[in-house]
Amino acid sequence: MSVRAAILGLLAQRPRHGYELHEAFEALVGGRAVWDLKPAQVYTTLQRLEEAGLVVRTAVRRVGGPDQHVFALTEAGRAELDRWYAEGVHSSHQRDEVFLKIVLALGDEAADAEAVIRAQRATLYRDLHELTTHRSEAAHLTQAMLLDKAIMHIEADLRWLEMADARLHEMRRHAVPVLPERRRGRPRAEAGDR
Amino acid sequence: MSIALRLAWRYLSGRKLRTALTTLAIVFGVMLIFGLNGVLPGMRDAMQRMMLAAIGEVDLTVTSASSAPFPAEVAQRVAEVRGVGAATPVARRTVAMPAKPDYKVTSLVVVGIDPATAYAVRPMPVADGRLLEERDDAPDAAPAAIASRATAEKMGVKVGDAIVLPSASGTTEVTLVGTIDSPAPPGSDELYVPLSLAQEMFALGDRITDVDAVFEATADRTAVERAVKDRLGDAYTIGGIATESTLAAGFDAAAAIFNVLGFFALAMGGFIILNTFRTVVAERRHDIGMLRATGASRRTILGLFLTESLLQGAIGTGLGLLAGWGFAVFVSGVLRGYIQGLMRMEDFGVVFEPQAWVLAVGLGMGVTVLAAVVPARAAARITPLDALRPQIGDVYEKAATRRAWAGLALIVVGAALLFVGSTGAMGLGCVLILVGMSLGAATAVKPITDATSRAIEAVYRSEGGVARANLQRNPGRAGATASAVMISIALVVMIFGMTSSVLGGYGEYAKRTTGTDFLLIPNNLIVSGGAVGAGPELAQRIRATDGIAAVATLRYAPAVVQGMTVQVIGIDPDEYGRIASFRWTEGSSDADLERLNRPGTVIANGNFRGQTGLGKGDTFTMMTPAGKRTFTIVGGGNDYINAKLPTVYVSQDALAELWGVTTDIMVLANAKEGADRAAVRAALEGIARDYPSFALYDSAEWQKVTDNLFAQLRATYTTLALMLAIPSLLALLNTLAIGVLARTREIGMLRAVGATRRQVKRMVVGESLLLASVGVAAGLVAGVPLSVFVVKAITMLGLEFPYVFPWSGMAAAVAIGLAFAGLAAWYPARQAAKLDVIRALRYE
Amino acid sequence: MAIVETKGLTKVYGSGETAVVALDHVDLTLDAGEFVAVMGPSGCGKSTLLNLIGGLDAPTSGTVVIDGREISTLSDDEMTRLRRERIGFVFQFFNLIPVLDASENAALPLVLNGTGAAEARRKAEEWLGRVGLGDRLRARPDQLSGGQQQRVAIARALVSEPALVLADEPTGNLDSKSSEEIASLLRQVSAEWGRAVLMVTHDPRIAAHADRIVFMRDGRVVDDTKIADAASARVAMERVGLL
Repeated sequence: MSVRAAILGLLAQRPRHGYELHEAFEALVGGRAVWDLKPAQVYTTLQRLEEAGLVVRTAVRRVGGPDQHVFALTEAGRAELDRWYAEGVHSSHQRDEVFLKIVLALGDEAADAEAVIRAQRATLYRDLHELTTHRSEAAHLTQAMLLDKAIMHIEADLRWLEMADARLHEMRRHAVPVLPERRRGRPRAEAGDR
Repeated sequence: MSIALRLAWRYLSGRKLRTALTTLAIVFGVMLIFGLNGVLPGMRDAMQRMMLAAIGEVDLTVTSASSAPFPAEVAQRVAEVRGVGAATPVARRTVAMPAKPDYKVTSLVVVGIDPATAYAVRPMPVADGRLLEERDDAPDAAPAAIASRATAEKMGVKVGDAIVLPSASGTTEVTLVGTIDSPAPPGSDELYVPLSLAQEMFALGDRITDVDAVFEATADRTAVERAVKDRLGDAYTIGGIATESTLAAGFDAAAAIFNVLGFFALAMGGFIILNTFRTVVAERRHDIGMLRATGASRRTILGLFLTESLLQGAIGTGLGLLAGWGFAVFVSGVLRGYIQGLMRMEDFGVVFEPQAWVLAVGLGMGVTVLAAVVPARAAARITPLDALRPQIGDVYEKAATRRAWAGLALIVVGAALLFVGSTGAMGLGCVLILVGMSLGAATAVKPITDATSRAIEAVYRSEGGVARANLQRNPGRAGATASAVMISIALVVMIFGMTSSVLGGYGEYAKRTTGTDFLLIPNNLIVSGGAVGAGPELAQRIRATDGIAAVATLRYAPAVVQGMTVQVIGIDPDEYGRIASFRWTEGSSDADLERLNRPGTVIANGNFRGQTGLGKGDTFTMMTPAGKRTFTIVGGGNDYINAKLPTVYVSQDALAELWGVTTDIMVLANAKEGADRAAVRAALEGIARDYPSFALYDSAEWQKVTDNLFAQLRATYTTLALMLAIPSLLALLNTLAIGVLARTREIGMLRAVGATRRQVKRMVVGESLLLASVGVAAGLVAGVPLSVFVVKAITMLGLEFPYVFPWSGMAAAVAIGLAFAGLAAWYPARQAAKLDVIRALRYE
Repeated sequence: MAIVETKGLTKVYGSGETAVVALDHVDLTLDAGEFVAVMGPSGCGKSTLLNLIGGLDAPTSGTVVIDGREISTLSDDEMTRLRRERIGFVFQFFNLIPVLDASENAALPLVLNGTGAAEARRKAEEWLGRVGLGDRLRARPDQLSGGQQQRVAIARALVSEPALVLADEPTGNLDSKSSEEIASLLRQVSAEWGRAVLMVTHDPRIAAHADRIVFMRDGRVVDDTKIADAASARVAMERVGLL
C-alpha cells in the first residue's frame, strides 16, 4: 500500500521514469539500509498503477541508449493520492506510511502536511481511546499487559507525530531531499553492491 | 460560621510555636493591664478604709464640706428636721495601730458615740458584758470601750482587758467593757468609745466628725435629705463618705499611667500579630486561592482571617487574664510587704472591677483583630489564579514609599509640636513621632541596616552580608518588628529619664525641707487622713530636752478648694524658717515665710498650683469649718513630705482659729552645736515611746529611709522598664522564627553548598542584631522627647525637677536591645543550624 | 445542550510591545456529559482557556457563556456564587486545605454555600464513597496518597452537583497507575454522572480517556476531534497488529 502511494506521491511532484523513482524514494527515506525497496518492485507497482489508470507512460528517446519510459500521474491518480493523504493510518504499519505521507505532502503543493498530521493524530487518538476503554475494562492482568503494549506503541507514534508536527516548518524550509547529480547511464555501482 | 472557626482552630494548632509566640504577645499586654488594674483598686480601697471611717447602716451621714470636725450641736439640728427619727453625734478617727503591743490589726476606727442617742440610730445587740452607758460619758469616768465580737476576737482581747490606743496625748488606755453582735463593716475594725473620750483622745474639743441619723419609717427619703441640707447649708455634706479623696485621685492617675504602659505593650503585641498574619497570608496563598476557586467570596476569606485573629485574641486574652491574676497576686504580695514597711496599713486583696475586665478584654481582642485587618484584607484580595501559580519565594518586597512619606510628615509635625511649649502639644508630638517612625520603619530598614551591618560584618565576615540581605528583603516585616523594639526602647529611655530626673529632684527636696537633725513623723508617712496628731506637750517636751536648739512642728487639717480636698498644713512661720525651709518656687524666698503671720495668707505648693491653677498673688476661697474664707497666696514652695498632694501652708494660729486644730503631726528638731547627739537621741527616744504612732529618725536614718525608698522606686521602675521591653524580645523571636521557617529550603541549599552549622547560626544572630539595631536607633531618638515630656508633665502637677538627660537610660536601652537580640536569636538560630539538609531541601 | 460556549475568546497579557497573546479568538462549545481534553505544548494557552471558562480570570475580549449565563457581566460575588454552584475545580497542586480531613474538604463548597453542616457532610461522604474513598473519610490530606488526594478533589468538585468540572493537569503530579485511575474517574464523571468535563493535560494516554480532544497552539485551536468512535477495541488491537 505504502509503496504504491509513495510512487503516486513522487509522480505528483513531477513525471519520472522508473529508475529515477527508485532513486528519489531512496533519497527520501535515507537509503537502502533504512528501507530496502527493490527496483523490480517499483516496476511491477508502476505496471499495476498503469493498469488501474492512475499513471500514464510515455516513451522518451534517449541518445545512445534504449528508450526510457517516463511515468506521470493521471487525474484518477491524483484523486487516489489525495484520498491517501486525508486518511489516517492505523498504527500497525503507520511508521513508514505516515512518514511517507508527511514528506511527500511537504513536496506536493496540492497537499497539506498539517492536515496529514491532524488526520493521523485523530486516528491514533481514536485507537488510543478504544484501547484505554478496553484497558480499564480488562478483566485480567495478562489482557491488560497486551493492551498496555498496544497503548505504548500508539503513545510512541503520537510522540513521533508531535515531533514531526513541531518540525514541519523546518522541514519545509529544507525541502525534500533531491537526487545527487549523477553521470548518465545505468548505475553499475549500485547493482554491484547487491 | 463554623467552618471559619474550625479552620482557624486547625491552622492555629498546626503551627504551635508560632501560635504560642503570637499568643504570648497578647498575653503579656493583657496581663499588664489586667494585673495592674487588679492591684490598684484593692490598694485604693484599703487606703480609703484606712483613712475614712466606714459608715454603718444608717440612713444619713453628715460631714463637713471641708472634712474638718464641726460643732456637736449640729446633731441636734439634724434631729429637729421633720422626718428624721433620730440623730446622734459621732467622732470618728482611724488610728494606725502601733506594732507594740500587737493587736493584730494595722488600723482601727475609733468611734466616739453618745450613749444617750447612739442606740436609737444604730442598734447594738449585746454579745458579752455591757453597752456603753451615759455614765461612761461623764468627765471623770474610767475610759471604756466596746467592740464587735469579731473585732475583739481578732485583736485577741476579752471583756475586762485594757487596750492601748494612740492619742493626742501619746496613748490612752481604755477598758473593753462589752462586745456586740453587729458585724463590722468589711475590712475595717471599729472600737466604740464614749464621745467625750474620743474628743479628748483626738483633741477635738467639743467638735465631732459626723452626724449619723435614721429616718422615720414613713418619711420620703429624698425630701428629708433635702430638708437636712437646707437646714445645715453648704458647709456640710450629706451622704456617705467623701470619695473624692486626693489619694484616690492619685491612684486613678497611677491606673491611667499603667493602662498607658499596658497599651504600649499591646501595641507592640499588635506589631507581632501583624507580622504573624502577614506571614500566614503569604504561606496560605494557595489555600486561599483554592478556596476562592471553590466558591469562597472575598468576604468569606476576610471573615476567615478575622475569625482566626479573634480566636487568637480570645486565647491570648484568656491566658492574659489568668496571667494577670497571677501577676496581680504577686505584685500585691510584693507591694504589701513594701507598703507595710512604710506605713501601718491593713491588708488589701486583689480586686478586679468590671472596668478592668472591659479594658483588658477589649484591648486584648481589639488590638489582635485590628492588627490582623490589614493582612486579612490583603488575603481577601488574592485571586483564585494564585492557587494555580507555583510558589514565589520570599523575594525582595518593595517598601511602601507613600507610607514612608506620611511617616516623615508625622515626624516633622511631631517634632514641631515639641517646641510649641504646651505640655499637651508635646505629648501629642511624642505620639506622632512614634507613629511616624512606625510608618517609616519599613523604608528606614535598608539605610539603617546598611550602616549598622558594617559593624556586624566586621565580626561575622562571611555571614553578615547574607544576614543583611535576608533582613532587607522583607522590609515590611522587619519594619514592624523594629517598631515594636523601638517602642520598648523609647519607653526604657523614658522611664530612666523620668526616674533620674524625679528621684534626683526629690533627693534635693528631702535634704532641704526635712534635713533637720531629728524628725518625728507618724508611722503613716502620709500626713493626712487618719493620723493621730500629738498635743502641744510633745513638742514642748522635745523643746525642753537638753541639747535641742530649735523645734518646728507641722499641723494638719483638711479643706476644700474648688470642690477638691486639699491639705492645710499649719506651721509656725518663725520656727519653721529657723530649722527647715521650703524649696521655693515662683520667685519666693524665706522672706515670704514671715508674711504667713498676716491673717488670710497661705503658701501654696506646686501640686496645689498645678491642680487649681492658682499661683502667687492669687486670691481664692477655701471651705473651713468656720465657713468660707478668702485667702491670698503669698508664696510658692514645696516640702518633701507633702509635695505629692495639693497643699497650702498657713500659720498655726490660723489653723487653730479656723480649724480648731492644735495637734502636731510632725515635729522637726535641731540639736545644739556641740551637743552629745547620742544623749539627745536617747532622750528623744524616751519621749517618743509615749507616742507610739510616731517614729523618731535622726538625719542619717532619715537619709537612709529616703535612700531606701528611692532605691526601691528605682528598682521598681527598672523592673517595669524591663518588663515593657519583653514584647520587643517576643517580636524579635517571632520574626526570626518565621524567617527561618520560611527560608528552610534556602538554608538547606546553603548547607548543601558548604555553609557550616555555625555559619548558619551566625546568619540568624546577625539578622537579629541588625533588626534590633534599627529598633534601638529609632527608640533612642523617640525616647528622648518622651522622657522630656514625662518630666514636664510631672512639673505640670506641681513638682519641678531639673531634667536630667537619660544617659544611663540610653546605655541601658542599647544593652537591653543587644541582649534581647542575642536572646531572641538563640532558639531560631539553633533550629536553623539543626536543619537536616535533605529534609530542608524537600520542604515546601 | 451546551454547557460552555466561548465566542472569540481572547486574552492578551501586558500591552504595547510586550503584549503577549495568550488566547486568540477561541470558539469552543461543550455539551452536557461531554468529556473534552485540551492538549498542546506549554504556553499554548490551554490553562488560560480553562481559567477564563472558570471565571478565575477576565477575558480581554470575547464571551464565555456557562450554563446559559454570560459570565463576563457578573460581579466578583456573582461569579463566586456561580463557581460555587455550577463549576467544580480540580487542580494539579494545592487542591486541599491541609488542616481539614477528607470529608471536610469535600464538603467545602456546600459549607461555603451555607448548607447545614450535617447535610454537607452527608453529601460529601456520599461522593467520597462514589470516588472510592468511603473508608478514608477522616484522613487528613497528608495521610492520603496523591491519587487519593485527587479523588477527594474530584468529590469536592462534584459535591455541589455542578454542570461543569474543570480539571487542570489533574494527573500532572501522579504516578501512571494513579493517573489512569483519575482519568477513568473523570470519564465516569461525564459518562455516568452527566457532567461536562474540561480537562487540560499533556499526557496522551490521559487525554485518550476523553470523548473529544481540542489541540491548541499559540493561543489558537488547531484541531478539535472526536475520538470516541464506533470502532471496538478489538478492531483497534488488530490495527495495532497485536491481534
